[in-house]
Amino acid sequence: MSVTSRRRFAAIALASVAVLATGTACGNDSESGDGPITLVVDVFGDQGFGYEELYKQYESEHPNVKIQERGKGLGLGDYNTRLTQQITAGAGAGDVVALEEGTIVQFYAQADKFVNLADHGANDLKSNFLPWKWEQGLTPDGKVLGLGTDIGSMAICYRSDLFKAANLPADREQVGALWPTWDDFIATGQKFVAADKKHKFVDSATNFYNVVLMQTAGAGSGHTYFDKNNQLVVGSNPDVKSAFDLTTKMISAGLSNHLKSFSNEWNAGFKNGTFAAIGCPAWMTGVIKGQAGDAFAGKWDVAKAPGTGGNWGGAFLGVPKSSKHPKEAAELVKFLTSAKSQAEAFKKVGNLPSSPQALSDPAVAEATNDYFSNAPVGKIFAAGASELKPVYLGPKNQAVRDAVENALRSVEQGKAADAAWQDAVKNGEAAGK
Amino acid sequence: MTSTMLRPPAVRPPAAGRPGLRHRAERLWTASPLTWIGLVIGVFLSLFPFYWMIVIASRTNDAANSWPPPFLPGGKLGENIQRVLDNGDANIITGLANSFLVSGTITVATVFFGSLAGFAFAKLRFRGKNALLLIILASMMIPIQLGVLPLYILMAKLEWLNTMPSVTVPFLIGGFGIFMMRQYAEQAVPNELIEAARVDGCSTWRIYWHVVVPALRPAAAVLGLLTFMEQWNQFFWPFVVLADPANPTVQISLRSLNTAYFADNSQIFAGTLIATLPLFVVFVLFGRQIIGGIMEGAVKS
Amino acid sequence: MSSLETTAPPGLDPSRSRRTARRTPSGFPWLTRLDLRLSPYLFVLPFFVIFAIFGVYPIFYTVWIALTDRSPLNATISFVGLDNFVELLTNDPQFWNAVWNTFGMFVLSTVPQLLLALMLANALNRRIRGQMFFRLAIAMPIITSTAVVALIFSMIYARDFGLANWLLDLVGVDPIDWRANRFASWFAISTMVDWRWVGYNALIYLAAMQSISKDMYEAAALDGASRRRQFWSITIPQLRPTIIFTLIISTIGGLQLFTEPLMFTSGSGALSGGSEGQFQTITMYLLEVMNTRFRWGYAGAVALVLFLLIASVSFVNYLLARRISSDK
Repeated sequence: MSVTSRRRFAAIALASVAVLATGTACGNDSESGDGPITLVVDVFGDQGFGYEELYKQYESEHPNVKIQERGKGLGLGDYNTRLTQQITAGAGAGDVVALEEGTIVQFYAQADKFVNLADHGANDLKSNFLPWKWEQGLTPDGKVLGLGTDIGSMAICYRSDLFKAANLPADREQVGALWPTWDDFIATGQKFVAADKKHKFVDSATNFYNVVLMQTAGAGSGHTYFDKNNQLVVGSNPDVKSAFDLTTKMISAGLSNHLKSFSNEWNAGFKNGTFAAIGCPAWMTGVIKGQAGDAFAGKWDVAKAPGTGGNWGGAFLGVPKSSKHPKEAAELVKFLTSAKSQAEAFKKVGNLPSSPQALSDPAVAEATNDYFSNAPVGKIFAAGASELKPVYLGPKNQAVRDAVENALRSVEQGKAADAAWQDAVKNGEAAGK
Repeated sequence: MTSTMLRPPAVRPPAAGRPGLRHRAERLWTASPLTWIGLVIGVFLSLFPFYWMIVIASRTNDAANSWPPPFLPGGKLGENIQRVLDNGDANIITGLANSFLVSGTITVATVFFGSLAGFAFAKLRFRGKNALLLIILASMMIPIQLGVLPLYILMAKLEWLNTMPSVTVPFLIGGFGIFMMRQYAEQAVPNELIEAARVDGCSTWRIYWHVVVPALRPAAAVLGLLTFMEQWNQFFWPFVVLADPANPTVQISLRSLNTAYFADNSQIFAGTLIATLPLFVVFVLFGRQIIGGIMEGAVKS
Repeated sequence: MSSLETTAPPGLDPSRSRRTARRTPSGFPWLTRLDLRLSPYLFVLPFFVIFAIFGVYPIFYTVWIALTDRSPLNATISFVGLDNFVELLTNDPQFWNAVWNTFGMFVLSTVPQLLLALMLANALNRRIRGQMFFRLAIAMPIITSTAVVALIFSMIYARDFGLANWLLDLVGVDPIDWRANRFASWFAISTMVDWRWVGYNALIYLAAMQSISKDMYEAAALDGASRRRQFWSITIPQLRPTIIFTLIISTIGGLQLFTEPLMFTSGSGALSGGSEGQFQTITMYLLEVMNTRFRWGYAGAVALVLFLLIASVSFVNYLLARRISSDK
């Protein structure tokens, strides 16, 4: 190799290294030294967690901390897939990560990959959370995996304008009185679709099903597809079967708009206003407002759900061991899950606090939502939240849930209910293996 | 040999420059009306989705979801593009920059390493050559899905997750680039030239640089274009390793746009337009070479 | 290394090497010898380094994982031998459903794709004005990414406001729920694949057609053979190796089909490919097992079986290709 060509080669090599190096610079640099540290917070969902103002506040109180949020707009499925990979690989996750109610159980087995928040004084905060919410954040051997952010609770969101046009009562008290039970809810729906041929009553079978299942299981067995020993019981748990049957009954009554939850068509359904009611945990109010947009402001309202109340959804914040700043991250978790912060997040995106102090805070308890015709959302959602029994969701909850939801969608597409139930059990058992 | 077409001049457009052909044979190559109809339909189907992309991207979202569907462009293109660029979740500007960086780096590396190895396989003799070439051919058959899990763990150990090296380094040189350069070098670089250079005392590297590189230039251009296009459009692997929405490639930006704003079709289509535009420019400028390269590759293999 | 040194570099006359050595500017004959022996390996080394790290190592790791019950949900990993493979092959209807879908969509997309490409190429092989325009126009879809294709066509095939259903409505056919019906979904996804690849394959066929001697056609024409006849008895047989080549390419791509069916649905559970797995492909099933069921060992087995399928189908194609080219 001659000198000139060697020099040229060196130049090329250098150039490619330089190019690669600039590529690295785009990543989230892990800082060291005395400068300010950056804490990365991973969240999910269309609306995020509504923490923007809280970050600013925290940063101004802690000048050495910069906060960067990722994941707003990411669906729960994608989010959880990535988080699982990152946790297992021991790298890549944020310093603070959101753990959803249906997936936190899956991380119990990997508790050694998470900081035990009890080591950072979390146990002193026990009274800041509803007892059942606190329990859900604990691993079976008592480590504090995550601190609660919000709970779902349960109500029905409905289009008062469509109800009125279909000669149904539009006032939220009277609407709530229409449906003491889910059968009454279906009967109301039948009246609605008889009067209004252009709209369907509810968005989808799966949303209806999840609301019913979480309520039935909360009042009944206390678990869904997995019992508390993580045995798969999708075929034998009567709560699953009764929720499934109620849903197929609803479908055959012609009430469903057949929109797959969290899909394109579902969102277009909100935008075009093609259905009149939807099972509505507190976080759903943020989804509706975000998807339906200003055109439907004041046309939506909130009424109490049929049955006995229940909970669907809600999340926790935890700190993976891979964080380079576990202490600071834990402090941030404590701040973000404090009663005051939870009340603030409720104001922003409608996530119902999991802290009893926040729930009784007038800012929450007396809150109304102008998008939902000034409905007293604080009162409606908080009612009974503290007496709820938690529903245990197994480690592969999401996989089995997908299988059962698919079976319900096949009923919407014309399959016989009995055959679909066989599918649900068969595929659910394969998925939960 | 021109720089626009890779094909050696042996193949010409049919019947060109062949005077004195019998009338009947001449007629063989004329296009019947049916041919024209077929071609026009083909072109229509091929171009319509592009046109439709512009139609939806230039309208409001309400029009995009209306019935019957719109068929004429509206006046909202600039506004929709602005909304995509401003979109905090998609980070499409970062995505474009990253995609340029990644695709560019891989393109340069592929052309360089590909021509180097292609030259070695075509013109140098060494032990185990055929076996090594067979490994390269076989490597082209291995889907990335096969090792996605170990690769992910590897990236995590290297601390490359969410950074551009994770989607760059594994693709710096692939079997296709080497194979294509080998095929081309075999015919384009005369053995005599290499021998002569050796006699003049050139090292192998100098032969590569002064003899082989100039001869491979047309093929290198085509390989570069094809590589750039392929890398620009990568989806599966970036989807797995780039979990940070703040630091995506442009295809991942599109996916974020789709998950976060799926009901907003005009914005999504404006996004696809932006993501496709760079390759459209490449295609307009270098379409002839790309087509020449595709056709050339076909004859070779 | 020693065995290499005793062998003269083949193809180079030893006397010439000596001359070369004499005239090397550096004046170090051993350097030249080293250069001759080592350079080829240095030149091909980058590929093998990258391939070893990012190609071979993950495969062996996958083989190892496939023999275990590894899962992020298990605290321990135990060796299970071939259990994963046995379950996959004998007791997993969903896997076979995915295989069926993958092959079904492969056939449904490849056959029309190659036929259309042949027809287009045949048309382009005529003497027409604007050759380059037509070539550019039909090749243009290759500049789009599969993600873009999936996004555009998902909207064309939307149930409620889609273009396809509007067209059907025009001719008086009821709208189709493209994601509910197995065949409809296969059709929709196949058109995505075809739109992107027909032009590309047409160009490949065109190149091959242009290298067929014109005299054959002229002779056939003199014998009174129709164009159609010429196409089937001259063009097609001459094109057989090229057709096999495009088949292999389509096989590798088709059996890995992923982005189009994935983005055909949105929202959670997109990996399950429809309510009854109507369009779940093997790759989608692989990711479902890996990412929602967390059975990594089992996912390793799925990945390996997918690879074996691709390899064996390609091998059959390769044998066919060899047979045909040696027949000539």
